[in-house]
Formats: sequence, structure tokens, C-alpha cells
Amino acid sequence: MSSETDDRVSRRRYEREQRAREEAEALLEQKSRELFLANKQLSEYSTTLEGAVLDRTAKLRSALEKAEAASTMRSRFVATMSHEIRTPLGGLLGMIDLLATDETDASKLELLKYAKTSGEALNRIVNDVLDFSKMDAGVFVFEEESVDLRALVESVIALARTNRKCEDRSIFAKVDSTVPKLFFGDATRIRQIISNFVSNALRYSVEGPIIVRAKATPDPKGVLLRVEVEDFGIGIEPDQIGNLFKDFSQISTSLTAAAQGTGLGLAISKRIVEGCGGQIGVDSTPAVGSTFWFELPVEVLAAPQALELDAQTDAQDSSGVSLVGKRVLLAEDNVINQKLLLTYLKRMEVDADLAENGRVALEKFEPGKYDLVLMDVAMPEIDGLDAIRQIRTKWTEDVLPPILILTAHVMDAIQDEAASVGVETVLSKPIPYDELKLAMQSAVGAMKNDVPVPPEPPVIPKNESPDVFALMSADAVQQLLETFSPEDLTDLVKRYVIDAQSIVADMRVLYENNSHKQLSAQAHSLKGSSLLLGFSRIAELAGEVEMRAEHIDATMMADMTDEISNILVNLMGKCD
Amino acid sequence: MKGTVFVELLKMAEGAFGEDVVDDVLDKADLENGGAFTTVGNYPCSDLVKIVEAFSDHSGLSAEVLQRKFGAWMMDHFGENYPDFFKDKSNSFAMLEAVDGEIHVEVRKLYPDAELPKFVTERKSDTHLEMTYSSPRPLAAFCHGLIEACVERFDETAEIDRGPTRPADNSTTFQIKIE
Repeated sequence: MSSETDDRVSRRRYEREQRAREEAEALLEQKSRELFLANKQLSEYSTTLEGAVLDRTAKLRSALEKAEAASTMRSRFVATMSHEIRTPLGGLLGMIDLLATDETDASKLELLKYAKTSGEALNRIVNDVLDFSKMDAGVFVFEEESVDLRALVESVIALARTNRKCEDRSIFAKVDSTVPKLFFGDATRIRQIISNFVSNALRYSVEGPIIVRAKATPDPKGVLLRVEVEDFGIGIEPDQIGNLFKDFSQISTSLTAAAQGTGLGLAISKRIVEGCGGQIGVDSTPAVGSTFWFELPVEVLAAPQALELDAQTDAQDSSGVSLVGKRVLLAEDNVINQKLLLTYLKRMEVDADLAENGRVALEKFEPGKYDLVLMDVAMPEIDGLDAIRQIRTKWTEDVLPPILILTAHVMDAIQDEAASVGVETVLSKPIPYDELKLAMQSAVGAMKNDVPVPPEPPVIPKNESPDVFALMSADAVQQLLETFSPEDLTDLVKRYVIDAQSIVADMRVLYENNSHKQLSAQAHSLKGSSLLLGFSRIAELAGEVEMRAEHIDATMMADMTDEISNILVNLMGKCD
Repeated sequence: MKGTVFVELLKMAEGAFGEDVVDDVLDKADLENGGAFTTVGNYPCSDLVKIVEAFSDHSGLSAEVLQRKFGAWMMDHFGENYPDFFKDKSNSFAMLEAVDGEIHVEVRKLYPDAELPKFVTERKSDTHLEMTYSSPRPLAAFCHGLIEACVERFDETAEIDRGPTRPADNSTTFQIKIE
């Protein structure tokens, strides 16, 4: 090897190395360029991908919004339509009743009976659909009112007994003593659920008793109320239980199914219970029977000591405080409310004294003269809260009788003001008879026990209902008919219409004169009496005027008062 | 074929025959790039065969012997430059079995266009491995040298029996029996 002594590299070796190096450098450059291009392409992909994702997201969002809007529209449409259907349907049912009153031919009476049954079935469906669509549209509002479950269960049972098919069936209630006398809840909805359970029990069992049970267990919110309705009927196959509570949309033939009597009742009940934060379910054995149940956390309404003791000794007997002969001062300016409350008081056999406003109430009031004061809030001259304040300044606490506040205001708003004048009990109008009586009993706190008063079954003389009742809310009619005869109630409605028409005329003038405060007061008065008689649309419109008296524009005001006037004219026509 | 093979072949030749001889041989051989190889380039396999033949002519050693020596050289080269592939292998069989599944996978990450031979292995017993080499290139002897060096690297001795190259799929099967 000759190169061992010579460290220098030969020319050809050097040149070869040079060529190799150039080639390597060229390759390196090429690779760098490829890498750069690949990077560029990657970032382009990433940008396009981001764009594509944004684009797709926007499209999806827009599609979702459209779908939601369509769904809400549909629900509103159904809600509106159901509402619109109810009015003429009420008319139809009324006409059928009128025809039946005058008819003597047995075969025609039979036909009228079928027409009536079909009409009532349709009415139930429309009500169900209305409830459902309200829930879907998110306008289904739960009320918070004081609920007396015992009275409520009794009234459901009494109503079920009026069904001719069930005359020989035994339905009874077992309300455990753990169930509080009064709690906060939505009485109408709870009644609806229990009623649904009971009518299902009647439908799917032919013999054996139907038992409505209720009990309460401690719960963070107050108590957990559990209501069960047990029947000994055909029961339900396990694989069908899952479908029982399914939603309207999941029942393919819901309307036909409802018409056949299987109904949307359970699906609605489920929504109601879940809407109130509770649970609903059924335990059933085929050929043995079913127990439908629901559980609701409820807030217990503090009952006075006397009632508590009473409730402990005998839960069924707690309403036995006598009001007979008690002297009551009623301060109320609205003639309709006067009429109703005085009728209620007369029925309780109390000695009632009426003051038309706060000033008269102040004049009339003296310590020792009354056992109880019922005070409306919104009254001319001196309002109820002011009157109470003045009474409290004038006399000391120990000589004053209990004072209860009546109001059509939103409860939350008035509760604080009531507390500021030392009144704990605020009753929200319209006040059901039982609720008023109970509140008065607890206020008077008389310890003497009467013979237990059985809850009066609601009497609904369906065959004689004048047309106008169909225009009132069903609950209001039912409650009012517990006190009034249909004739008296019709009379009351007439008075209401005359009174309301004059209020509307006043409202128009007050609006023209920019007297917002008085306009608001008049609207409030109209709202109160409308709620009491169950004319919810008028109450709603009046409530709107009350709230927004200062901001309402002329067109809107005209529209609203016109609408009220039209309804009133229609009502007057139905009263004759 | 990857440039690193050419560069290593010339390094081995320089060690054995000296730089001048290598340069002479390269000048005489009819090579596409005049013998200026770099590790990052790719060159035709026919050039490798030509170089081996030229050295065979020069030295009188057969191409077979040269290829096997070169195989051993490359195994040492791999061992020095890519110790990671070796460190978790306890014997030559494990190493040979890893060629296709591990080493070639890594090679493709760096050179996606590399034309790699296939090595299919089958353990006949604890001491007997059958390895089939398939490649369009006539380098069975080079492969033989690699296997021998691999066995040696793990301080093992083995009887390596090389079967004939089957022209149908250019494959050659080795029976490797550890002694």
C-alpha cells in the first residue's frame, strides 16, 4: 500500500469526494424543499379542515335552531288550536244539555246522552293535548299554593263516585298521619294525577276496592310525599310497563288511543311529577292488580300549634274548629269579591261585617268588636296594608284580633309587605272555600272540636250548567258551585260583567288622562275578580295593563280593552 | 440501493486493498456516477455487483467470499452505529427475527422509498431457525455473511446451511442451527 507513507490524497480521489459531496448537498436541498412543501400542504389541510369544521358547525347550529323554532311553533299552534277548540266545544256541550232538558222522547235522550259522552271525551283529549303542547312549548307553569291533600283526595274520590258506572265500587282513602295538613304544591296538578290514577284503576278493574294511600317521609326540602292508588284488576304485563308513561311523540297512534280511553293521562302525569322534581311509577302483577304511585318533595306549610296538636291526636279531624258565630270584619272593595266572600262567610255561619274600603274598615274597627279581620290590599282611599298599619299604631298587640290579608297580587311581592305590618297569613285570590275556612280556623285558633265535618263532595249539576260556565276555568266553576247554586253563580257572573264593563270604561278614560297609577289600580281590581270567576284571558289582559300601565302604547291599550269588552259582551250573551 | 452500502463496501475495500487500488478499480469499472457515492444517495444495485466483480478480478477471491466478508463487515457497522437495535436482544435468533418487524419499519420511516428485502423466519426448535431471504438482488451470499456475523456477535456458534436460490421468487432459505 503505497499511500501509507503519503498522507496526501490523490487528485482523482479528491475529485470523486467533491462530486459525492455536491451530490449529497443537492440531495439535501431537494429533501429540504420537499419537507417545506409537505409542511405547507399540511398547514393548508389544517386551515381547510378548521374552515370545514366551522362551516359544518354553523350549518348544524342553524339546522338545530330551525328545528327548535319549528318545534316551538308547532307546540304553540297546537296549544292555540286546542284552546280555540275548547270554546266552541263548551258551547256544543251546553247546547246538548239544553236540548236534553227539554227532551222527553227516550230514544232522542239516548242519542243526546251519546253525543254528550262523545263531547266530554273530546273535551278530555283537547285538555290533554293542550297540557302536553304547553309543556312542549315550555309555557306550562306550576303553581305554588297551599295544598290540603286529605280534602283533595276526598274530592277526587267523591268525583269518581259520581260516575254512574262506579256507583257500586268501593273507593277509599288511607292518608297516613305523617302527611302534613298543608304543604306547598300545585293542587290542580296533584289532583289531576290522582284523578288519572283513580280513573285508570276504575277502568282496569271490575271488582275489589280501590285504595288511595298517602304518606310522607323526611326529605331535605321538607317531606317526601308518596301517594299510591292500588287496584285489584287485570294488572300489567312487565313488558308493557315501559310503554305506559311514554311521551306523546312516542305513541304513534296517540290520538286514536286517547279516544279509546287509554289516554295521554299517564304521560302527562309523568311530566307533571318530573316537572315538580318527583318520580312516578307502577308496581304491578298481571291478574293480581296494580299500584300506581308518585313521590314529590314538598315544603311543609307551618300549621299553628293548636292544629298541630289536633293533627297528632286525630289526623282526620283537624278541620273541626268551629267558626260559628264568630264576628268577622271583611274589608273588600270589589263587588264581586264582596258577594263571593260574604256568601262564603254566611256558609261558615260567621257574623260578617263589610267595609267597602280601608277607611271604612278603620272607622268600623274597635278592639273586642271582631274575632277576625279579613283585609284586601288594593282598595281606594286607604289600602289594606295602610289600614293595618294604622290599626297597629292605634292599639296594642294584645287587644287585636288576628288579621288575614287577601290579595290578587303575586305572592312573593306581598309577603314581605305583609310581614312588615305583622301579618303572617296572606291568602291569594281566588281563594277556594276550603282554604279560606281553614286559614280562618287556624287564625281563630279555637280549641273546641265539632263533629268532624266531612269534606263536601263537589256538586256539579252538569245537566243544568248554563253556557257561560263553559267559558270559565273548570276549577273555578267547580269551586264556586260548592258555594253557589248555578242560578246564583250566573247572577254573580252578570254582576261581574256589569262591574267589569264599567271598570274597562274607567280604564280607557284614565289612560287618556295619563293617570297611570289609578289605571293600574283599576286593572288590578279587574284582574282579581276575573281570576275569582275563572275568566283567565281577561285576568291576563288586566294583569298586563296593571304591570305596564305607564309604558303601554295607545294601539295596544285599545286592542286590549277591545278584547276585554268583546269577551264581556259575549259573556253577557251567554248568561241569558 | 442505499448509498450507505456502497460507502461501506468501499471502506472495507480500502482497508483490505488500499486507497489506490480502490480508486483504480472504480475508474475501470463502468459505474454510472464514476464511483462518487454518498450515504444519502441511492444507486443501482448493478453497480454494487460490478464493484464486487472488479475486486474479485483484482484479488482472485471469489465474489461469494467477498460478499460474505462484506456481510460480516456490514453487521459490525450496524452494531456500532445502531446499538439500540441490539441492546434488548439476548441472542442471534431474536435479532434475526426482528429484521422485518422492527428494523425495516424504522428504515422506512427515514426512507419511505427504500426497496427492502424480506426476511421470513420460523423457529423450528429452540436451537433451529429457518430464515427465508427474498430479494430481486443476487445478494444471498451477502446475506449469508450477515447471518454468520450476527451469530458471532452474540458469542454463539451455529451451523448455517444455505439452500439454493429459487428463481421463481428469488428466495433463498437458510437453516440456522445453534451448536
